[in-house]
Amino acid sequence: MLNIFNQTALPALEQSAIFAQRRHNVLAGNMANIDTPGYQARDLSTDEFQTALSEAIEATRNPSPGYSSGDAADIDPMDGPRRAMENLLYHDGSEINLERQVTEIAKNQNLHNTAIALMKNQFETLRVAISERV
Amino acid sequence: MISALDISTSALVAQRVRLNTISGNIANMSSLKDENGNATPYKGRSVVFQTDESVSTNPGVSGVKVDSIEISDAEPIYRYQPQHPLAIKEGKYQGYVAYPNIDMTTQMVDALEATRSYEANIGVMEITKNLGRESLSIIA
Repeated sequence: MLNIFNQTALPALEQSAIFAQRRHNVLAGNMANIDTPGYQARDLSTDEFQTALSEAIEATRNPSPGYSSGDAADIDPMDGPRRAMENLLYHDGSEINLERQVTEIAKNQNLHNTAIALMKNQFETLRVAISERV
Repeated sequence: MISALDISTSALVAQRVRLNTISGNIANMSSLKDENGNATPYKGRSVVFQTDESVSTNPGVSGVKVDSIEISDAEPIYRYQPQHPLAIKEGKYQGYVAYPNIDMTTQMVDALEATRSYEANIGVMEITKNLGRESLSIIA
């Protein structure tokens, strides 16, 4: 079935928002365990996710040969980033640094809210296009 | 997203238990008899935290819970008070009274740490609520 949203930035933005929410859960777990002895801080790998996301975006822009555009609608373009979110990273240090955790949470919140704002913008653009009233 | 609230709540509950044990320690700093009326001085309590997988729905993310409340077995402090009704009658500590070995400074610093952790987790809950609100604003 033709998915018109695949042509927009929405799948990538959706994956960014989901990644930010998952990462927030992991970081909240770190904060909860700040006084637990022997606890190792955990995180989701932002680099891995971003690599997978940019590869997925490139793939939708330049489909590889032997891949007709009729198929493009069926294949989930965001499969790579979805799989990149599965892996939990463990840091080596045994001490959780409160300041570092707080900063990571704030940066993550920023990423999430930016993705959401862009999604709203994208929907607004579609709405304008549908209503044909600028 | 909802599970992040549960995780932070588990931390709030654990820190409150810690604060309660500290209050109990400070309240009993001069208790010479235990709850059964025996003449043994109060022994300090401390909490042991443990990660708790059951609070969260994501695998690998965990909250915290109080595993146990340990009773300290430190030696009591002995003060020489031969006239005191609970003075030890014979042995090495004859004429001494056994007082609880609880250091107020240590307890207060522990209470400060518990407060800081409590506030940190409240901060995380505010951010969780903010993320949820932002996500909802897409449709509303």
